[in-house]
Amino acid sequence: MTAEDRRQETGDRIITALLFGLAILLLWSAPCFAHKVNLFAYVEGETVYVESYFPDGRAVANGKIKIFDADKTLLLEGHTDSEGLFHFSIPKYDNLTIVLDASMGHRTTYQINRQELGE
Amino acid sequence: MQKVLRYTLLMSLLLTTALPEIASAHFGLILPSDDIISQGESRTLHLQVKFIHPLEQHYMEMTKPSAFAVVHRGVSYDLLETLQPQKGKSSDQAADFTYWVTDFAIKRPGDYTFHVEPTPYWEPAENLFIVHYTKVCVQAFGLEEGWDEPVGLETEIVPLTRPYGLWTNNLFSGLVLLKGEPVAFAEIEIEYLNESSGNPSIVTAPADPYVTQVIKADGHGVFHYAMPRAGWWGFSALNEADWTLKHDGVDKAVEIGAVYWVRTRDMK
Repeated sequence: MTAEDRRQETGDRIITALLFGLAILLLWSAPCFAHKVNLFAYVEGETVYVESYFPDGRAVANGKIKIFDADKTLLLEGHTDSEGLFHFSIPKYDNLTIVLDASMGHRTTYQINRQELGE
Repeated sequence: MQKVLRYTLLMSLLLTTALPEIASAHFGLILPSDDIISQGESRTLHLQVKFIHPLEQHYMEMTKPSAFAVVHRGVSYDLLETLQPQKGKSSDQAADFTYWVTDFAIKRPGDYTFHVEPTPYWEPAENLFIVHYTKVCVQAFGLEEGWDEPVGLETEIVPLTRPYGLWTNNLFSGLVLLKGEPVAFAEIEIEYLNESSGNPSIVTAPADPYVTQVIKADGHGVFHYAMPRAGWWGFSALNEADWTLKHDGVDKAVEIGAVYWVRTRDMK
């Protein structure tokens, strides 16, 4: 066995160990899926206010927000702030779907009906 | 001798009329149309405020309460003037009795703890006034925050079990407070609300003790009860007030009750 082979073998072992560790980590974090993320939105004047939160009230910080119209066309996107809040001006008078994509498995949607937007 | 006989007769007559009243407990009730509001569901809660015998479905006359409010995220909102009178009775009651209803629009996520302070009810059978401080909690849009906080009533039950999303046979635990302090060995009466929506058949008690379950809190004012049927369950912790009220010019004791209602559903 050459020095090169030995290095290769050590490298393989490290990668295997890393993969194993990652798998354990993934399994370990599985209970986090039980922490359902929630989304709520309401309209005040021309603005839609979005709140994201875990059941115990903690904010879903820096969650990715996407707003779609009834034809599933993306209208705008952004991120929740440290308090889990996001707001936007009404982009279109239509039934809107707000999608929150937080970390792994933490995805939820909220519907706002056209009537709620006023006009 | 004849005097004794007459006295005995009178006493037995009195007892016969009084007994059915003792067998069933009085309960304040706030009955919301739903205990959990999810996305896409109606956001208008219909609430009924009553004074009843929950298992036997008997109504008692309820005058307009002294206070009716809701606490949401630490802020109290007065709802007293929204209450409207209604008439109702059980099938075996002759006359109609007054209870109160209102509609409440849920606008934001969180726990909504509704609470009522009725006007004192004079109960001649027990020679006392009854005031049942009654609470119920409705959760909206997944934010489970506030149910474990006291409202600040003279006496109240603070849940130690989250008071919604309960399965049949779950254990409900609560803490009895009187002026903010735990009541050691408080007595708690528990009844099933026969008029619960979804109750498949009216429950009849095989013997009087089945009507009202009676348990006691531990030395820290904490109690537990497992609810054996789907529907609404009322918990009523009873204490005597350190104040009295006058009835026909005479000072009378006041029973103050801390009442809490929770709903269970079958696992299926």
